[in-house]
Amino acid sequence: MAFQILLNMFLGFTWMFLTASYEPIAFLKGYFFGLLIIFAFRRFFPSRFYLLRVFAIISLILLFLKELVLSNVAVVKSVLKPKLDMKPGIFALPTVLERDWEITTLANLITLTPGTLVIDVSDDKKILYVHAMDIEDANEAIDSIKNTFEKAILEVSK
Amino acid sequence: MKTNDLILQTATKIVLFIIVLFSIYIFFAGHYTPGGGFVGGLLTAGAIILLLLAFDMKTVAKILPINYMTMTAVGLLFAIGTAAGALLFNVPFLTHAFGDVHLPILGEMALHTATIFDLGVFLVVVGVTMTIIQTIGGDE
Repeated sequence: MAFQILLNMFLGFTWMFLTASYEPIAFLKGYFFGLLIIFAFRRFFPSRFYLLRVFAIISLILLFLKELVLSNVAVVKSVLKPKLDMKPGIFALPTVLERDWEITTLANLITLTPGTLVIDVSDDKKILYVHAMDIEDANEAIDSIKNTFEKAILEVSK
Repeated sequence: MKTNDLILQTATKIVLFIIVLFSIYIFFAGHYTPGGGFVGGLLTAGAIILLLLAFDMKTVAKILPINYMTMTAVGLLFAIGTAAGALLFNVPFLTHAFGDVHLPILGEMALHTATIFDLGVFLVVVGVTMTIIQTIGGDE
């Protein structure tokens, strides 16, 4: 991915030198044409076309913002409830993520969305221990995290 | 003896993109300065031939799964399409239209339908050159 971005920047600058106009617009044009060329030769690179990964990162950020709003509303609801009938609990979340930054991102996303909090990561990096403020069913919570955050992170690192 | 083409292949990975970018520059330069669809097309074909020299035909076919004969046909269609499009506006065959358009990011741009005709030339030249080279170079 880094190589493709670097190559694209390089092609943008090459275009500026070819057209002998050193304005930002010339760089943008060159970057656009470079993007087209890299797209045409996308099978030439060992990793996939880098724009797909950029889109995956943007969709991960949007997903995080959506989850943040939704779970904040859920927390406000349980705080304002007169009856104290919530069920806190700790559950183990098995993860398929392997690299350190993926696990860190997943843990941070879980922690930053209110209602859940990562307490510990197991020594073999296979299990995250999560504290939830109010859970009915641990399996349901595991599934919802796996389907949203873990899937989105896998999409980025693929 | 099979030699190791590491240096050629690594250099190709960078040089290829500069050649293709230069061919696009040449293609768009055609209106006011030397260049145009023909040289642009030949340069692009040259870049693909460099790829063919550095790798083998199977790899190139995998990288660019293009049927060059279809490409030639599409190029001819572009050319005849722009030429015949003039008939819709009650002007003689091959009359071109042009105008200055103000685009949001790019600013003042001179658009001319001759560019689409040139794109047809570009595609035909790439298609024909690559068909010739691949037919000569192919084993079967």
